[in-house]
Amino acid sequence: MNLKADLLVIGGGMAGLVAGTVASESGLTTLLLRKGQSATANSSGAIDVIGYVPDVLEPFSSPEEGLLAIVALYPLHPYAIVGYGDDVTSEETSAAIIGRVREAIMWLKEHLGGTIASVTGEFDTNMHLITIIGTTKPTCLAQMTMCPGDLEDREDSVLLFAGITGCSEFNPSAAAKTYIEDRMALDGPPHKVGHCMFQVTPFGKSFNISSIEIARHLDREGSIEALAEQLKVQVKRIGATHVALPPVLGIRNAIANKSKLEKLIGATVFELLGFPPSVPGLRLQQALEGVFIKAGGKMLVGHEAISHVRTKQRVAAVIARGPLREIRVDAKAIILATGKYIGGGIAGDEKGLRETVFDIMTVTDDYHSSRDIVPSRSTNRLSINPTGQPIQACGVGIDSQFRPVREDGLEWAENLFAAGAVLAGYNYSVEKSGLGVALTSGYSAAKNAIDFLREVKQVE
Amino acid sequence: MTDTQFDVVVIGGGSTGTAVARDCAMRGLRTLLLERDDIASATVGTCAGMISSGLKYSDEPDIMAMCSKEVVHFSHIARHIISKNPIIAPLLDLSDAASDSSYVDSYSAHAEERAVPSMLFLTPEASREIEPMLHPDVIASVYYEEFFIDPFRLCMLQALDAIKHGAKIRTYCEVIDFAINHNKELEGVVFYNRVSGCTEKVRTKFVINATGPWAHKVASAAGEKLDIRLNKGAHVILDRRVVNVGVTVKAIDGRWVYLFPHENTTLLGTTALDTWEDPDSLVASFDEIEYLLQSIETVLPSIREARIIRTMEGVRPLVPEWKKPEGMVTRGYQVIDHGANDGTKGLISFTGGKLVMCRHMAETVTDIVCKKLGKTATCTTHERPLPGNEVDIDIVGLSREYGIALHALERMRARRGADMMKVLELTREHPEWKTTVCTCEPVIEAEVRYTIREEYPQTLNDLRRRLRLGTGPCQGTSCTYKAAAILCEELNLGGDDFLVDILDFRAERWKGIRQSLRGEQLAQDELTQGMYACVGNLDQSDVDYDVKPWEEGC
Repeated sequence: MNLKADLLVIGGGMAGLVAGTVASESGLTTLLLRKGQSATANSSGAIDVIGYVPDVLEPFSSPEEGLLAIVALYPLHPYAIVGYGDDVTSEETSAAIIGRVREAIMWLKEHLGGTIASVTGEFDTNMHLITIIGTTKPTCLAQMTMCPGDLEDREDSVLLFAGITGCSEFNPSAAAKTYIEDRMALDGPPHKVGHCMFQVTPFGKSFNISSIEIARHLDREGSIEALAEQLKVQVKRIGATHVALPPVLGIRNAIANKSKLEKLIGATVFELLGFPPSVPGLRLQQALEGVFIKAGGKMLVGHEAISHVRTKQRVAAVIARGPLREIRVDAKAIILATGKYIGGGIAGDEKGLRETVFDIMTVTDDYHSSRDIVPSRSTNRLSINPTGQPIQACGVGIDSQFRPVREDGLEWAENLFAAGAVLAGYNYSVEKSGLGVALTSGYSAAKNAIDFLREVKQVE
Repeated sequence: MTDTQFDVVVIGGGSTGTAVARDCAMRGLRTLLLERDDIASATVGTCAGMISSGLKYSDEPDIMAMCSKEVVHFSHIARHIISKNPIIAPLLDLSDAASDSSYVDSYSAHAEERAVPSMLFLTPEASREIEPMLHPDVIASVYYEEFFIDPFRLCMLQALDAIKHGAKIRTYCEVIDFAINHNKELEGVVFYNRVSGCTEKVRTKFVINATGPWAHKVASAAGEKLDIRLNKGAHVILDRRVVNVGVTVKAIDGRWVYLFPHENTTLLGTTALDTWEDPDSLVASFDEIEYLLQSIETVLPSIREARIIRTMEGVRPLVPEWKKPEGMVTRGYQVIDHGANDGTKGLISFTGGKLVMCRHMAETVTDIVCKKLGKTATCTTHERPLPGNEVDIDIVGLSREYGIALHALERMRARRGADMMKVLELTREHPEWKTTVCTCEPVIEAEVRYTIREEYPQTLNDLRRRLRLGTGPCQGTSCTYKAAAILCEELNLGGDDFLVDILDFRAERWKGIRQSLRGEQLAQDELTQGMYACVGNLDQSDVDYDVKPWEEGC
């Protein structure tokens, strides 16, 4: 089967869906190929922009502060690259970067408005959200259901961590201990926390209950009321002003569930940042897919790009394998948003790393070739450390237009752009920058692809 | 008599030390075992768990006979933690078969007592029927059967049995000095309690030094010189059972290496290199990993398609024979009675030995101690069952009765035999504890809680050794925080301790993952980083984390 599109996006996580939406909205016919579940769907569902730079222990108070540091320290970071362009002078670079990231954040907030993953937060500040292990982390945007309100602002706040019996994904007693020790060290409210368990038995099960099952259950009529009956007693017991739940408030109805529950128990309710499998990640994924479809984009799920057809300076077509067939997609421009190791965009064996669709040269965080590196030697002795594992910053290198580059630094193809975790030069786990880079690079790559297609059209 | 006076102090909580403590306690000696880390945390924890018939040592017939006898004993006293290990040795050319065929006869001589068939030769067709991944050019293969024992559970059950017979077992207690009088007689042992930070002292006239590759260091604390030959070996671990049976093959240097389906994984081992490094900081090298992969690749060409989850490196404490390749060094053991050689009276050390001999080694040394103490009690360690071996367990019936997956129960039975009933009992009051904590192995919450209450773990790594928690394909990515929270609840730890336990566990897993990082494990590492660093923000945590020996330097 043959398909045609102005723009082909390979990869259906944050970067690919944002790029596809931006392109569709500009009037391009856009087709997106997705192999399987994205890393975005496994994320905490909060949108980090920049929390730290590697090795520095103090978090940035705002994305703007962080971006200024990135520009100064890491000129090849994807964030830095959004500021480069033919029409930008070097003095303007910082302003251009901040402007572009802010623009992307505003764009996302607006597009997620009214969806199941509607977000809150401002570009001008990082908030510190509580995780399911009781630690906190800086992030820029949070889904409405994750917002703890005035928890750390009012002196009389009392927080109740509430977990679900038979669901191992969250243990409220350990989280409560970690969090209160942290607050005591900082001498800030809340000065009192408690923990409790409650029961939700989707399908009558009393053990091995997953957060996804609970969220589906809470989407059903009447389930919030039953939950409120149990929580009310516990809220009263310790005089809680806020209740922290694992991220399970619902998939379709989470936002309404939050306000309903708050009304019934008389306390602010919010979801903690959680690990995969992630309900908020799933909500974000579904919302982004909805936004893309609404903009007119077309999505082929279960299709993996396996080869391509090249004409001189351009990629003319991509061959993809689906469950039943192989298809050929002829496209004028292509965005590679296949992710890193989880997404499958980058793979490696004991001999080195390779990009999996086009076999583009992979590079390390400082843009040396990583084609021949032994993965274990690009790692740090310490597993979890503020420098991170260098292997996790490898990917493809790009030019100022977000086009992957060859060994000589020139673009690999005129019409191929890349975005998201397939890019080299940043380590999202230590920077807390994953979805922010995916968003900004997806947004920028699409803008560049649009400009490219306009120029081509004028020439032709 | 107080808690500070013992007939015998055993140093080392490996297979030998726990076996000695068990034997001494069963013969009525007041026994204390001191272990620097945890039970089975060093040498025995890095072995393949094979209780070998001694096939490789056909030029030491006495040792082969002893190995075979010990396998028979284990199959009586510990059948719940034993499994059959059928092996084929594929031959690619005739020289493989002709080089040394005496082992066929010596193996078969003892086959009957172990209830296994004599060694068989198989046709290429029959070989590939058993193991379809074999190279198409295989001309024949040799088939024989060995046994595995779970080395962690063996040590744990020996320790628990010792406790049952009155012994005291102290983990995280490192011996730092000996009290020796002017007649060169041992009077006591001084040790550092790593948990409390205090130094303690006990009185004893006999010390059994069962510290494996640290034996010479411990002996030197008593001013004794002990010769030992340290030899390191690496294993590569694959994410599942990729072969139906064990496969052995000769490596580039003519040594035998093996690929064994083992528990829920596959073990590829091993190397043998003399070493003078600190056993605490040793990790598998790139060369060792390639040596193993390239060797097994000659008969299983697709082996690199399998996912490597980690490596492990252990150190063999060999008898100090020089000018011999490792394979020619005796697999027997030595008991060094330092007092008999004009040294410290009452100090007895081991060198050499194999996992399969641990009970035998214990019997020998306990005989010596009993004789010196004038005790007449005889050894019964080969007759009396280890805990859990008493009756058969019908897991199919239990699966129906408790509503727990058969596979989970099968794994539980393999760890604790009849004692699994005590775990299941807990779920009557707490049905929610049927929840799976580690999905790879799998391990349910009730067993985690039971283990914390009954098997004295101090850390998450101790729990791993008792439960195989976090040892599967995901290497604890999804269970580290869950199990840490349960440990935190049961031991009433603080929030910082909870986070330290997570970091400790990740550090220990990473030690093995890092060396062989490649393929799908890159995605696993991205996920681990994404969870514990990106979301959990633990890379920025300011908790008091002690850097591990293998993490030091740069």
